[in-house]
Parts: sequence; structure tokens; C-alpha cells
Amino acid sequence: MLHVENLTKLYAPGESGGGIRDLSFDVAGGEFYTLLGPSGCGKTTTLRSVAGLEEPSFGRMTIADHVIFDAANGIFVPANQRRLGMVFQSYAVWPHMSVFDNTAFPLRMLRGKRWGDAEIRRLAMRTLETVGLAEFAPRSAAQLSGGQQQRLALARALVAEPSLLLLDEPLSNLDALLREQMRSELRRLQKEVGVTAVYVTHDQSEALALSDRIAIMHNGRIKQIGTPHQIYHQPCNAFVATFIGRSNLLRGKLLERNNGQVRIATALGPVLCQAPNDAGGPPPAAALIRPEHVVLAAAGQGNPANNRFHGRVCQMSFLGEATEYVVQIGNVEILVRGMTGQYDGPEDVELYLPPEKTLAIAADEI
Amino acid sequence: MTMAVARGGGRSSTASYYPQVIVLIVLFCVGVIPPFVFLAYSSLHELDPSGAFGAFTLGHFAAIFASRSFSSVIVNSAVYSLGSALLALVIGAAQAWLAERTDAALRQVLYVSSIVSLGIPYVLYIVAWILFLGKAGPVNAALQHMFGGTEPYISVYSLGGMIFVEGLLWSPLAFLLLSPVFRNSDASFEEAASICGAGLLSTLRYVTLGMARPALLALGLLVFIKASESFEVPALVGLPGSTRVLTSTIYQRLTLDMPPDVGSASAFGVLLLVVMAILLQIYGRVVAQTHRYQTVTGKGFRPRVIRLGRWRYAAGALIITIPFIVVVIPLATILWAALLPYYQAFSIKAVPLLGFGNFVQVLNSPSFRGAIVNSLVLGAAVATLVTVLSAVAGWCVARRVAGARLLDGLAALPLVFPAIVLGLAFLEIFVHAGSRLYGSLLSLVVVSMVAYMPYGLRYAQLGVIQIHPELEEAAAIAGARQARTFIRVVLPLLIPALISCWLFVFLLAVRAVSLMLLLAGPDSQVVAVTLFDFWNNGQVGELAALGCVWTAIMTVFCIAFLVVARRYQLPIG
Repeated sequence: MLHVENLTKLYAPGESGGGIRDLSFDVAGGEFYTLLGPSGCGKTTTLRSVAGLEEPSFGRMTIADHVIFDAANGIFVPANQRRLGMVFQSYAVWPHMSVFDNTAFPLRMLRGKRWGDAEIRRLAMRTLETVGLAEFAPRSAAQLSGGQQQRLALARALVAEPSLLLLDEPLSNLDALLREQMRSELRRLQKEVGVTAVYVTHDQSEALALSDRIAIMHNGRIKQIGTPHQIYHQPCNAFVATFIGRSNLLRGKLLERNNGQVRIATALGPVLCQAPNDAGGPPPAAALIRPEHVVLAAAGQGNPANNRFHGRVCQMSFLGEATEYVVQIGNVEILVRGMTGQYDGPEDVELYLPPEKTLAIAADEI
Repeated sequence: MTMAVARGGGRSSTASYYPQVIVLIVLFCVGVIPPFVFLAYSSLHELDPSGAFGAFTLGHFAAIFASRSFSSVIVNSAVYSLGSALLALVIGAAQAWLAERTDAALRQVLYVSSIVSLGIPYVLYIVAWILFLGKAGPVNAALQHMFGGTEPYISVYSLGGMIFVEGLLWSPLAFLLLSPVFRNSDASFEEAASICGAGLLSTLRYVTLGMARPALLALGLLVFIKASESFEVPALVGLPGSTRVLTSTIYQRLTLDMPPDVGSASAFGVLLLVVMAILLQIYGRVVAQTHRYQTVTGKGFRPRVIRLGRWRYAAGALIITIPFIVVVIPLATILWAALLPYYQAFSIKAVPLLGFGNFVQVLNSPSFRGAIVNSLVLGAAVATLVTVLSAVAGWCVARRVAGARLLDGLAALPLVFPAIVLGLAFLEIFVHAGSRLYGSLLSLVVVSMVAYMPYGLRYAQLGVIQIHPELEEAAAIAGARQARTFIRVVLPLLIPALISCWLFVFLLAVRAVSLMLLLAGPDSQVVAVTLFDFWNNGQVGELAALGCVWTAIMTVFCIAFLVVARRYQLPIG
């Protein structure tokens, strides 16, 4: 559906100059595809390049096999001829128009197709109904609440049945409760309409909940592309591992490889890990384990074996459904998600990092 | 738009009582109430030949409504104000959009030209256009050359000429007031239109102009009001061609008619006040409407520049043309006139006559130097006094202390006075109250303070609103008393607003002609009035030379004003 090849836009020379470098990715038809990354990682620049609001320096982009940008051949289709839908971070709902006029605007602007007023009315009202704003049609858009403006922006983006819907942090201006609600509604609408969506966010929980696939970006480059499950459970580098979810990252040195398992020398001592990504690329040099996978036992209870360490609970925070413990082992602090009431003071404990849940990854720069 | 009647900002504090509010209210009453009383009184009374008030009469009003010229005066006023507003709006909006929203070539030129034009005295500007478009001007000469004949093709002394000059006069301010409107509008509104398939012109028409409509309406109304109360263009361009509007009629009754008819002039003044009060009321409502379109702004707010593509150079040409008309032509005309011993249209033959004789004469004459010094002293005194009063009054109004609304209302009252009417009202006060102030520089200071207090107050009030009340509350918690908090916390934060307030009032005070015209005496000649007298005496060369010198001095002040205003992101004007 959307095909992006070596897309590059530089604002200033050098790695720290911002912009995007050499991005390539494909979005399949009907897919909900998310660009996720911290602020300044280039995700919005990427989206705006797809929209035609920015002109990249190099690369090539096609939508359904139509070339919309090709630096080598000097092709740049302007935004108003790409026929996309876009929801802006600020919604950009025009306050001087009614809800209906906002929605009907893309239909009135369509080239080549001249619709009668009745047809425009029918299509716009149908879309307003889909987002639940039909009764507000004659109202001024300035009178809508934040959540309603968001729906209107979505209606405007969808009304002309674009092949591609672009969403630029559309939920970031809503308060927490509304955000959850809009999140599931957005997902429902996208599947219902069947539109391909490219979604930009810095909020990992949003990305995990909504996406079919996620591209994690950092410093203008894509760090990993995968399903939410892959991204969480098999991060291929330290940036992705620490950006998504809570994690314990133990940097060290590769000691030995053995049947898809590796042993890494860390500050705790040698740690045995899985190494599913250990093919080509830099050798793994860090061990990663999520707090919920660490096993806690009272001191002296576990059998001495691989990946067992003695430590002391030095801090705990009650999270409601669970408690998070900080266990100190020498100079290293390990986060452990455990049951509430398991420990309630500084106690000596034994930690077990199950090798099948411990991942060896590349220890790239962060 | 400091004329905004909006009252806003800050939590309303508990009604607390401040002695300084009482002092300010008394002070404002003394300045503001007498002009109304004297104007109304003299419009309703006969005037004895001795100059004292006689019997009560409605005759002045009756005569006005009965006169045949009255309806033409009203129609002229309306057409003149409307035409000027439209012209200023079109030129100003085009410039603001090009400069703020597009990548048009050379757009920086617009700021420079607007700044320079703010420093040109009205009289000088108007005279330049009269010379340029007049019978002996280059435009008529060129038209005669092209189409033959010896009759002038265009007459500047007409309603069209008045609209043209007044519209141009206001276009730089329209530009400066509209550019923040375009600058601060979030680019995503236009980007959204682009995504929806709208091209450049559709986006401009449906989105950019649609969203700016309340601001455009407010500005149009502001120029309409300013044109209605303007005096210089009606007097210099209108009167020679007998195109009379309300303000020039007042002037005519007072100075050109023999004997002067103070009663009739006052009655006209009262009518004009009523018109102004209604217009200002409407204006207040329209300004309140401009805030209706405020919406959510994303964190990624960025005013983006629209790529004009192949239109870029066409826009560049327009950008060169507008300042050429607004600034270069009048200044060149004035410079030409200043260098000639007696005025004649531009020609190669006249070049050998050029010289600095007029400059030498103007700079050597003690009376002209006196006028320059008087103007500067007047401007500085008025600006300083208004700024000091505004700082205290502005705080009281912004923090809504007890009595603040009364204070605000009183200070805003002089806005309904067109300058010529305020001058007339104070003339009557000085004459009848037998004051020794009449004709002194001090009298001009007092009158100017009353006239410009509303602007100063609005500046200071906006400045205070930007200071969060918690900053003062923190000082109070830390143990500081009211006065100390004001001096140590509020004033330092208010300084940028006050500097720009000072400069703005200064520029207004030295530019004004109509306010001073009826009041300036031999000891209190100021530059603006001197220029006006020069023109009436036909001393074009001296006028132009003095004007050039004065424009140079004022340009420095204008630049200072804009630098301060831009630096601290204050609303201009």
C-alpha cells in the first residue's frame, strides 16, 4: 500500500542534526501502522513527508503503486493532490465553519469529481454519523469540546474515502479518561472503514494497544519493525528494550555461544540468556529481563544454579495489582514485579533470572 | 488594538479598598468631565459678542438639521470613512499575508517601509500626495503628455483623493496590526485544507481569510472610526475642493467663517461625539467576537510558510510596489520640494535649481528650532506622565480592585472625542474658565494627557495581565507590603510594556495636529502645527525641509518602538 524507500530529510549535517535518515518501510493495505519514538526522533517529519507537507531530500515513496515522491526523478506530488486523510495533533478543525462544512470541505475540493449538493450532504452526514456527531452538524465547530473536535477531525479525514489515513499524535490533547475511550474507538473505526492507517505517537501503551505493526524510531532512524508482541518480547537492541516497557538491562561482554544460548559476563556475574536475534550484526553484549519475569525467593531457599543471585530488597512501591521491588545486588539494582505483601522491609532475598526469559541483545548506544 | 474595550484577565480579587484608586478617580474626573460639560453647554447656549454664554437655545442644532449641506456632509463622511477603511484593509491585509505566511521574495522590505512611514507627520504625507497628484504634479503632467490637452486629468481635491490619501495613511498600521493575526495562526489549519485537496487560492479564500474575518472586521471598523474623526485629510484635501465632512465643518465654523460660530461648531461636535460613542460600542462587540475562534493548539505549533511557487516573483513585485507607493513616492516628492527654492513639478530642467537653501533657513531659524524643541518636550512630558499614571491605574484595572471599573470607564471616555472636538472643548474651557493656561505649552501637555490616557492605560493593563497574580501573592506571603510588592515585583516585570507605552504615546503626541491647532499659542508652537501653517501660507519649501528633518528624528523613535514591541511580543498600536 504505502512503500517508502531510503527516505532522507536533513535539517542540519551530522547525526544530531535532526531530520530522518535512510528510512525504508512498507505498510500493507488495511494495516494499522505506528511510528513510535521519543520526541525529536523524526516520526512527525516522516508522517509529514508522506502527507506532502514536507519535501524530503532523497528517497522514493509510492502509494498503491503511484509514485508520490521520487527525488531522483524530481517527482513531488503536492499535498492537495495526494488524496489522503490526516488528523492533526491540534485537530486543525476550522473554527469559522460549522461541523457540517468542516466535514464537507474535502468533498467540495475533490478534483475531477463534481458532486451535487445532495450527494455531498449524504456522504458528509453518513461520515458524521459514523463518528457520532450527526446531531451537531449545524453547530459552529468552535463550540465543540476537545473530544468532539477530535471526532470531527477524524470525520473530515475519512469523508472522501482516502486510501491512506495519517494520524499525528491525535490523542495527546485529550485527558486520560477520554484518551482510553477514543483509543478503542479509533481502532474500531479503522477496522470498520478498512482504511490503512499510519499513526505517530510517543506513547508506547497507545502504540502497543492500537497497532498491527510498530516501527520504533530513534535519532531519525528506524530501530526495529515488528508486531507489538515482537517489539515487547524480542527487542533487538537496548534502545528498543528500554524504550518499551520496564526492563532490567545488564551490560557486559559475550563469554560464549552455545546452542542458541549465550553467556554474558555482567556486573552480577555470568548470565545465561536466549539469543534469538544473534545472527549477523554486532555480537550481543547485554542481558535483558522484564521485571515480571524475575523470580523472587527468600534467602537460602533456591537451589544454587545458573542465574541465581543474592540481594537485599531496598525499596518497594505498591502499584495496586502488584508491588514493584528494587533489589540491590552489589552496586546493581534489579526491578522485580512481585506479589503484594511478599516482603515488607529490607530483607535478604534470592533472585532467579530464568534463562528462557532472559534475552541477549546488542548493547547499542543510547 | 489597544482600543479594545475588553476587560479581562486575572482572578477577581476580593473587593479591597485602595486609596490610590480614589486619587486616580478624582484626577480622571477633573480631566475628563469638563470637556463634555463645556461642549454640551456651549452647543445649547447663545454666545454674547463679549464671549460670555447667553440664553439657552436649541437653535444651533436646529440650524444644522435645517441646512441643505447637512445631508451631503453626512454622506461625504460615511463614504470617506468607508472608502478609507476598505483601502487600508486591502493593502494592509495583502502585505500582512505576504509577509507572514508566504515565502514571497523581499518581504522584509514591508517592515522597513511601515516603520519609516509611521514617522512621517500626517501633514507632510498629505502635502506630498497633493503635490504629486495635484495640478502641477508629475502624474497630471505625464497624463497630459500621453493624451494631450492642458487640463489636469485627475483632481486630488475630491472625495476620491481624500479616500486615497487617508487609506494609504492607515495602511502601514493595518499591516502592523494584522501581521500578528497571520503570524499567530497555527499552520495546521492551512495544512489541513491542503490535505483535503484545496489549492493555494481555495486555502486562502476558505481558511486563511475565513479565520481572519473577525480580526479584519475589527480592524476595518477601527480605521473607519479613525477616518471619521480624522481632521488633516479633510482639512488639507477636502476643504479646497469644498468636500466637507463633520470634522472639517467644525474647523470651518471656527476659523474660516467670519465671525467664528462657536455654538454651531459645538453642536456639530456633540453630534460627532454621539456617532463616535455608537461606533466604539460596536467596535467593542466586534473585538469581543475575535476571541471566539480560539481553539486547541497542538504542541507542534508552527506557523508554516506557504510556498508560492511560480507566484513567488509576482508577489515580490507587489511587495516592491506597495512600499513604493506608501513611502517612496511621498518622501521623494517632499525631498524634491525641500531642495527647490520654489515648488515646481519634477523635470530635468529644474535639477540645476536644487540646493539646501530651505534646510539652512529652517535650521537657522530660532522659531523653527523652538518648534522642534517644544515638540520633543511636549512628547516626552506627556509620555512620561501618562506612563506613570498608567502603570498604577493599569494594575488597579487588571487586578479588578474596588472601583476599577469606574476608573477604566473614566479613562476610556476621551476615546469618543475626535481630536478636533477635544481641542474645541478645551478651547472653551480655557476661554471661559479664564485660565492663564491658554496658549501655554503646559496646556498642550494637559490636553494631550487626557487624549492619550486611554492608550497608555490599555498598554499597562495588558502588561499587568501577563504577570501572573501568584507572583504578587508569593511576595505577600514572603512578607512584602502592597507598595513594596508593586515596586519590587510588578514594576520590573512591567518595564517592557511601559517602555513601549512611553514610545507609543510619545509618537502620538508629537504627530497630532488637530488637537493642538486650536490651542497652540505663539509660545507653544509645535512642529505638526507649524507644518500645517506653512501649507496654508504656501511656504512649500520650508514645510518640506522642516518635514524632512523631523521625519529623520521620528524614524529613530519609531524603530526604537518597534524593536521594543517585537522583542517583548507586545501588541502594536
